Amino acid sequence: MGKPLIHRSPMPGLGLSMGITLTMLSLVVLLPIGALLLKGAHYGLAGIWETVNRERVWAALYLSFRLSLFAALFNLIFGVLLAWVLVRYRFPGRRILDAAVDLPFALPTAVAGISLTALYAPNGFFGQMAAEIGWKIAYTQWGIFIALVFVGLPFVTRTVQPVVEEIEREVEEASATLGASRLHTIRHVILPMLTPAALTGFALALARAVGEYGSVIFIAGNIPLLTEIAPLLIIIQLEEFNYDAAAAIGIAMLLISFAMLLVINLIQVWSRRRIGYV
Amino acid sequence: MSDATQIRFRAATEESPATRWTLIALAFAGLAILVFAPLIAVFVEALADGAVEALRSLASPDARDAIRLTLTIAAISVPLNAIFGVAAAWFITKFDFRGKAFLITLIDLPFSVSPVVAGLCIVLMFGANSALGGWLVAQGYPIVFAMPGIILATMFVTFPFVARELIPVMIEQGRAEEEAALTLGASGWRVFWTVTLPNIRWALLYGVLLCNARAMGEFGAVAVVSGKIRGETATIPTTIEMLYQEYLSVAAFSLAAVLTLLALLTLLLKTLLELRHADQLAANHRH
Amino acid sequence: MHIEIDEISKAFGTTAALHPVSLSIPSGALVALLGPSGSGKTTLLRILGGLEFPTSGRVLFDGQDATGLTVQERRAGFVFQSYALFRHMTVFENIAYGLNARPRATRPTKAEIARRVTKLLELIQLPDIGARYPSQLSGGQRQRVALARALAIEPRMLLLDEPFGALDAKVRKELRQGLRDIHDTTGLTTVFVTHDQEEAMELADLVVVMSMGRIEQIGKPADIRARPATAFVKDFITA
Repeated sequence: MGKPLIHRSPMPGLGLSMGITLTMLSLVVLLPIGALLLKGAHYGLAGIWETVNRERVWAALYLSFRLSLFAALFNLIFGVLLAWVLVRYRFPGRRILDAAVDLPFALPTAVAGISLTALYAPNGFFGQMAAEIGWKIAYTQWGIFIALVFVGLPFVTRTVQPVVEEIEREVEEASATLGASRLHTIRHVILPMLTPAALTGFALALARAVGEYGSVIFIAGNIPLLTEIAPLLIIIQLEEFNYDAAAAIGIAMLLISFAMLLVINLIQVWSRRRIGYV
Repeated sequence: MSDATQIRFRAATEESPATRWTLIALAFAGLAILVFAPLIAVFVEALADGAVEALRSLASPDARDAIRLTLTIAAISVPLNAIFGVAAAWFITKFDFRGKAFLITLIDLPFSVSPVVAGLCIVLMFGANSALGGWLVAQGYPIVFAMPGIILATMFVTFPFVARELIPVMIEQGRAEEEAALTLGASGWRVFWTVTLPNIRWALLYGVLLCNARAMGEFGAVAVVSGKIRGETATIPTTIEMLYQEYLSVAAFSLAAVLTLLALLTLLLKTLLELRHADQLAANHRH
Repeated sequence: MHIEIDEISKAFGTTAALHPVSLSIPSGALVALLGPSGSGKTTLLRILGGLEFPTSGRVLFDGQDATGLTVQERRAGFVFQSYALFRHMTVFENIAYGLNARPRATRPTKAEIARRVTKLLELIQLPDIGARYPSQLSGGQRQRVALARALAIEPRMLLLDEPFGALDAKVRKELRQGLRDIHDTTGLTTVFVTHDQEEAMELADLVVVMSMGRIEQIGKPADIRARPATAFVKDFITA
């Protein structure tokens, strides 16, 4: 009884495509992640806890998560605004703006890191302006925030854009014929329709930011307890050949990633069940 | 009289011009600060001592070695990931099996794992103090702090790119054309080369493009596994870091400018593909 | 409400969707705008609803110039071809939407809104579907919910764009009678757009045949059948 594992199919290439898929997936992704989990199992929950439960590690995890959350929130608002402007309005330079949204995906993180640092350092273009009002950006948590906003910028825009394109004009018109002001329509009809996609983009931006390394380390200053991010701690442990501690922090971060992946999937299931689309 | 009323005529689905232009201005300002400024800063810093100095620093042995290594890494890891992407998309879209959704989740996994954790995983699996790694080192095939490790790390972080692009496109195209070709007596490979591949070529190119951009620019994962040995395992991004930390700003930014030009070229090609072949690309791009 | 269309024309860019047309719709009538696609019938309906603005001419509601009224001010119950139900709201929330959108001063109490929605669900003979989402309804049910939602705002007139267009033949027949009944119960001036001459003839008190942005003939169904005014009308109603 039950479904067969693989349905019979006249399509060729089952063995080959399955073989390549599973072999490469295992070799490149699953076995290495398994090695980390195995190391963690070997080390034991108590051992992991002992490593993570130190002021410096907590501070780094808390910093990474908190600033990622702020950056993702900023991107949530700015991303929805961008998606709306790019889809709904026609103005000179729209295509360039649209292409520019993808730059954080295309630009290597190390390049973004040194470039943002050059801009926001006390002698940099924006850094000087900020210094005038006594605001220090680079080498503070502000710098980390800006780097994380940069890397997370495209996610919300790119998930929300197709949904804005799909909103039928008639739905907005219906709202107006029922007497709703434009603001009421935006709040009660348009934004709720964008919510699932926006939340998905938000979670993706958050996940990306929590694990981000390259664009952050240059601008962060990396002062323990103040501006030291969690991924950097792993690197420090590795450089001291302290593999157990590196693995413990790695597992903590992996669990955060899995939790966020779960949240993203739940959002999509919820949205599909409720309104029949994602 | 019609002039007086004309002013009030605004479609029910539009915002007022004031709102509209405010939002457009905010979009421009935000992207100017967040995206265009860093972009320009790369070139300003690279050219701080003039174009000659920038070019001279690119001709230095460190820079040349880094460029050579990065190109080699991309030349190996991108085609491997393309093969994986095509195979995985074929397996997932042409066959029905249990656990398909789970398999897709596993393929997507690298997107949600920090590159540093990815590098860590590879070090733990193949590092000299692991069982497998120790044995490989003894046989004369070190993985970590050597090229194979960098390739593995690069493949890990770029793993889903091609598959993610192909799967939605191939789902949309269905199996009818392949089935028709089979009934006409075509062999499996013939069906792939003459029916499937022409249908997915633009999506494949799109995925490869993004995969390549990420492969050449990967920093976190490579920084962990490479050991950053000058002239041996230092890629362009890790060399940028070393130069920057040695306060060789022009040299660092010149190499950064090379990668930035690559990113701009990628975006240009990507935009062209989206303009020309939108119908043959996945509708919803997340990454 | 009496609707007067006075020399209305509409151009999209350089193409004229409506040449100046005039039409008087008596209060409480059930009127069909009949014509092939591109005849301007939907444009005319959207001008009445305030979704489109005429290039020239005037619209009068009960003798008052309504040309400059915004779509919100017109209080026209509009049923869209796609129904345009809000997918993220339940049927109840959809029907209550217009009442909830009112400014606080004129908004009914929660209990009053619930009472009205329940009454409307009874009127469309779907009393038990308030908690469902539009994606869980059949096409015919969606159409009736869209109608109830339009009626909830106590409209001054009812405007329907191809109200039966998306339905199969059997459901279409049933809902025709439903619309007739609702019209007779509410006494609202009702204008619907259709390309189906049988539908127009069977349902409407007054049929307006349109073609190429012009009105070809206005008359009772029997009169139009008996005496088509132009060759176009003759062709169209026998097709």
